[in-house]
Amino acid sequence: MSAAGSAPRLYWPAQRQRNRGVKGLLTVVAAFLALYAYLFPGLISVSGVAKFSQSWLPLVLVSMAQAILMLAGGVSLAIGAMVSLGAVIAATTMAGPLGVAGGAALVMVAGLVTGAACGIVVVRLGLPAIVVTLAASFIVGGAALLILPRPGGAIPAWLSDSLAGETPVAALLVILAVVLWKLYLATPLGLSLYAAGENSVAAYRAGVPVDSARIAAYAVSGLLSTCAGLFVAAQTGSGDPVIGEAFTLNSIAAAVLGGVGFLGGRGAMRGAVAGSLLLSVMINVMYFLGFPPVAHYIAQGLIIVGAVALPEFTARRSSP
Amino acid sequence: MKSSLSAVSAICLGLFALIGTASEAAAAAKCMKGDRKPPFTIGWADIYSVPTWMKETQGTIEKEVDELKKQGLVSKLVVTDARGDANTQIQQIQSMIDSNVDAIILIAGSSSAPGRVIADACAKGIAVINFDSLVDTDQVTAKINTDSEQWGASAAKFLIDAIGGKGKILVLNGPAGISVSDDRRKGAEPVLKANPNVTILAETNTAYNVAPAQEAVTNLLFAHPEIDGILSLGGALSAGAVLAFDKQGRKQVPITGENARQFLELWKAKSLKSWATMQPNWLGAFATYAAVQALTGKDVPAFVKIPLPIIDNSNIDQYLAKAKDFPADGYIYSPYDQKLFDELLAQK
Repeated sequence: MSAAGSAPRLYWPAQRQRNRGVKGLLTVVAAFLALYAYLFPGLISVSGVAKFSQSWLPLVLVSMAQAILMLAGGVSLAIGAMVSLGAVIAATTMAGPLGVAGGAALVMVAGLVTGAACGIVVVRLGLPAIVVTLAASFIVGGAALLILPRPGGAIPAWLSDSLAGETPVAALLVILAVVLWKLYLATPLGLSLYAAGENSVAAYRAGVPVDSARIAAYAVSGLLSTCAGLFVAAQTGSGDPVIGEAFTLNSIAAAVLGGVGFLGGRGAMRGAVAGSLLLSVMINVMYFLGFPPVAHYIAQGLIIVGAVALPEFTARRSSP
Repeated sequence: MKSSLSAVSAICLGLFALIGTASEAAAAAKCMKGDRKPPFTIGWADIYSVPTWMKETQGTIEKEVDELKKQGLVSKLVVTDARGDANTQIQQIQSMIDSNVDAIILIAGSSSAPGRVIADACAKGIAVINFDSLVDTDQVTAKINTDSEQWGASAAKFLIDAIGGKGKILVLNGPAGISVSDDRRKGAEPVLKANPNVTILAETNTAYNVAPAQEAVTNLLFAHPEIDGILSLGGALSAGAVLAFDKQGRKQVPITGENARQFLELWKAKSLKSWATMQPNWLGAFATYAAVQALTGKDVPAFVKIPLPIIDNSNIDQYLAKAKDFPADGYIYSPYDQKLFDELLAQK
């Protein structure tokens, strides 16, 4: 009885603690969403939410894929290649005999296996994640080009229309991804993630399955990346072997913007999600403000620095 | 009697009117609903604004927009830059649809990816003109391009003639997985196949830039002491190859290329035996013009094929004479005017 009573008492302070780091970012994101809705009132409609969440969803998934690795003390330069791989597998299988279910299963297995393979090499052989995943990006990117040498393939139209049509399915998928993440954190592997990332030696001595937690993080990261690829394929109705390239850097940018540290165990997934939302909404706000492209570059840089610096300023003010 | 006569004439008039509207409907360009009135807002969805070719192309678009503004046909040009990311380009095209521009002109970052968002724009009566890098979908008002396969085939023909039908060659391609680079190579293939005495020593895939091409060719020069010709399928690639030969002190060989100023100047300076064609930058201006033509109710063909001009030793001086008007790392394109655009639109 007392155990059940103490859990919620611990839960909310812990949540507040995690929110503290992202408060500044959340403010900026909210301001930008409000500005976007002001500039483009059509946003506040079913199809407006649908279209925006479709642009945003792949970035959320890859940002989560990157953040889970950074929380575990790793990083991946293969995210973009994994997105391409997911996209080409979906575009070459779903319209064929395997069907949508078979194709989706293949996409997920490819993500889990490739991710886990990277994880095993990094964790068991003790090699630097940045080198292993850079190599993996070449291998996976090459595999994507072998599967589909040039843009093409097909996704059944009904799948494209249901995932990326006029209904906000993509927004529901974002919520689903966040819920699944919460559930993952409740599993033993998820619970070990932060510990393994922050201080793996201490975690190991405390009996935390450090290696399994880190390999699992790589596998989940791979799964999220190829699923992002599947969604991109559905959204575009086809496959493109180099469609994912930009996601590698954008996923790192979103995670770092969200306060997820490079050294492991620091930050929270909500930060990465908010970071990806800011990167995505910024593109649309810049457009509606009518800035020329060169101003986009500068403004985006300033906003990113501002969003990262804001919590620092407020923290200093409140604790003189 | 009188009334029946007038009834007949009324029917006739009605029929004429019907035929009139029917033929007008047939003449209107694809995607057009006839509900958009000038002055128009043009959206230019650039895939990547940094390369010099793109800057020159945007220059021709801006010049054309200024011209059309004077005629009261265009009010505003909206420009986006996707920085090479096809996903960002889709998002920006969606924003253009949301802000209800009248026309979207684009160079596609992927031949497949923007298909659905473009079809959306077309369905909303926005004139969509796609040039240079084309999309696979036919839900556009018009596509404008040179023939990339013909590009590759003509280049291969020139090179094989230049080396006397036999010898060892290098093939320099643009990036892998990009339709333009793939199509040029595809066009060269049957010509190469038909000449079994021509051996391909190696092929490269690099970005359309001088430095990576120079590096790739330099590496190949160490491996291959005997090279008789270079089939380069991009202008900057050719400049890189010529520089690589020069730096290594190797004798220059016949090479194909494009109207890149640097390549044309090296061609002249090193007295090369060369051949070049061009992807004219004024495709941008022409796309803008075609969009406004479609919006004002004129017919625009679904595909406008732009003839590939040939530059060889006989006319290279004409191009070099204009060199100083173009950036040092830019492309010397042929002149254009409205008359040329009208002729291109009239061809069937």
